[in-house]
Order: sequence, then structure tokens, then C-alpha cells
Amino acid sequence: MSAIEDLALELAKLPGIGRKTATRLTYHLLKQPPEASRRLAGALVTMAERVRSCEVCGNLTEDAQCAICRDPRRDPALVCVVEEASDIGAIERAGEYRGRYHVLGGRLSPLDGVGPDDLAIDALLARVRGGGVREVILATNPSLEGEATAVYVQRELKAHGVAVTRIARGLPVGGDLEYADGVTIAQALSARREMP
Amino acid sequence: MPLVATDGIVLHAIDYMETSRIVRLATRDVGLQSVIAKGARRTRGRHGASLDLFAEGAAHLSLRPGRDLHTLTGFDVTRSRPELAADMGRFTAASAIAELVLRFAHDDEHAALYDTLLATLDAIAGAPPGRARVAALAGAWRLVAELGFAPALDRCALCHRPLDPAADAGFSHRDGGALCPACARQRTGVRALPAPARTALRHWVAEAGDASTPGDLDDATGRAHQRLLREFLHEHLADGRPLRAFDMWEGARWAGG
Repeated sequence: MSAIEDLALELAKLPGIGRKTATRLTYHLLKQPPEASRRLAGALVTMAERVRSCEVCGNLTEDAQCAICRDPRRDPALVCVVEEASDIGAIERAGEYRGRYHVLGGRLSPLDGVGPDDLAIDALLARVRGGGVREVILATNPSLEGEATAVYVQRELKAHGVAVTRIARGLPVGGDLEYADGVTIAQALSARREMP
Repeated sequence: MPLVATDGIVLHAIDYMETSRIVRLATRDVGLQSVIAKGARRTRGRHGASLDLFAEGAAHLSLRPGRDLHTLTGFDVTRSRPELAADMGRFTAASAIAELVLRFAHDDEHAALYDTLLATLDAIAGAPPGRARVAALAGAWRLVAELGFAPALDRCALCHRPLDPAADAGFSHRDGGALCPACARQRTGVRALPAPARTALRHWVAEAGDASTPGDLDDATGRAHQRLLREFLHEHLADGRPLRAFDMWEGARWAGG
């Protein structure tokens, strides 16, 4: 196999990249100075060697513990459970949450062969059993699979005496009621709250 | 590029690139279709949050002849089924039903199959605690019948002699159903099928069957029925790939559903 085919084959394994795009990216790299390809290859090697999962929460980090778990200003009694490490970035961008996280590494999906044993649920239970956790916020996606995951985790946590909450669902800020789908409107209505 | 408006239900969805989603949709008019829903992951996109698993609605498809992946131009949800996420028994049972349709249905019109699929998911969603498994078993065998490979239950699948309804029988996946004692002795890999189990199967496969009868199954009987169904489906699958949702449905921790 030629070097061109080899690279195109590897790129095509990435999500969202088909054979045509992989070939296009390969030819684009060939048009760049060799140094650009070396930098890219170096960055990939560095990432593979340095980045790992935080031993406490499963977030991506270059150290044994991620910056959030090491930060003494973050409330260790508040744990927000997310599906993927990338979800942490979305919550952090909001700038409101001051607790810590737990990354499940996915969501329950029987059709994809993902069951409870494939997620970091036991690690979460061990963390709660270890003490010091007051509330667990279930921030899995508001999809049916995310909801099934949240329900499962909630039941597993029941015996451990911590408060378990679920992030709210409803209309997006800046959205237009006229264009919202029925399911979202129904959930927004059922989760309505009294105005202060 | 024909545009089609049809009723549809989401059976599987995977994220694609930054904002899109590839969806496997069972439809009333054009069977099972794979479609790309561009922008479906945006909360304010035209699909909104509607393209969720087991959501049912009016689908607008742009079909490209000769292609495997078509375009979903709109999906107006009419019904979602949040009850299916209420416990693992229901969730895995509904997923197994979706897997059955995903692996066996084709891209042609099959309104009866579509209606049976909806009725089965509704039955699982609405089943009293502990009865989701019965609802799923009943619906799965109805779907098998709609797909055209219902097992022989009243006559021997080999010699076609009538079988005594009150007697135990053998069941051969390879031969496609129940066997009389004489034929069962000549075959290998024949499972024992007690008379009550055959009665339940007959009831589930029949058009008038529903999930509310023939009564509750104890755990061991329920498991035996799940295993029989999975083995039967495996026998009829050409590709030999595992039935992952079925395997999970049989998981010990949520037995009984």
C-alpha cells in the first residue's frame, strides 16, 4: 500500500470523514511544506502519549487528575454526571457551575451494544461511597437514551443517601415558541416553575 | 429526486459530523430507510429535538434512486415515547424490537408491519410493571409473522401432520417450527416446546393476539421464550452478526421488565 493510500485509509476511519474527504485531506497535506505534516504528526503523537482520563472523574487531562478535580475552589460535594468529556466544556462555557464532574464515557444504547458495564457507573458509585458527595446532578443528554441512562444511574444511587437531581429540559433561550416541536413544548410546560 | 411524505418512527440515530444525524427510519409507505437529517443536532434547527429514539411523526424524505442514504427534509413529531426510558426492562425490550425491524425489514411499503411495530412499542410503554417482557415477546412474534416467517405451530413443520394442541412438541429453528414426535426424533438440535409455551406462541403469532394474554410468565419461562425467539431470529439472519439489543434484553439485572 502506498503512503498516500495508507494516510487516506487512516483519515477515513475518523468520524464524519468519508473516503473522498480523506483523499482530499491527504492531497492537501501533500501540497503543504513537509514541516506542516511533521507538526501534525508530532501533535498526534504528543496527544496519544500525554492525554489520559482523570483518575477521579474521567475528564481528559495530561496529569493524573484534571484541573477541575485539582482546583480547591470547586465544590467536591457537588458532582455533575455527563456522557462525554466534551460535555464538560459546554457546561464550563456557561460559567455558572462550581462543582466537579463525572464522565460516564457514553450512554446506554442496547442497539449499539452499550450497557451499564460499558459506562463508568461503578466508578461513580465508588466515588459516592467514598463520602463527601452531597448532590449528584444527572446531565446526560435530553434524549431517550440519555434519559434511560439517567434513570438507571439514579436507581443505582438510591441506596447511597445522596440527593440526585436532573438538569431541566425545555425551550432554548432565544428560541421561538412557534417553531418549537411538540415534545419540547410539552416538556417545558410540565417543568414550568412559579415566578418569584 | 422524488419527495415522499409518510408516517415514520425513529429506530436508530447516530451523530454525524458537527450538527447532523444519520437516522434509520421505519415508515408506513417506503419501508425502512436510512436518512441524513442535516442540522438535527442543533436545538433550534428545523428538526428541533424531535429526532429522538422511538419518536413518531410525519416524515418528509427526499429519495435518491440507487442510493442507500437519503435526505430527511422535515420531521413533524406527533408522538414521543418517554415511558420507554422509565426502566431498563422497557428500554431494552423496545430496543430489541427496533433491532428486529432494523435487521429484517426492507425498503418497501409494508403498512401492517409498521402498524404492528407501533402497537408493540405502545404495549411495552404502557405495560404494567413486570409485564414489558410479555408485551415485547408478543409483539416480536407478531412482527415475525408480518415479515413472513412465522413458525409452524399447529402442524408438524416437516411432515405437516396436525399436532395435538395439548401435547408437548419439539421445536426446530432450522425446520421452521414445531415437530411431531416422529420427526423430532430424526432431527438434531430440537428444543423441547411444552404445550403451554406453544399455546402462548400461537396466541402471540395470531393476528388477534395481544400482549395482555396468555397471562404472566414466571422468570424462567420468560427467559426460555426470550432464548427461543433469539435463536429463531438468528436462524433466519443471513449475516451472522449478533443481536446486541436482544442480548442485552436478556440481561439478568432487569429480568421481567
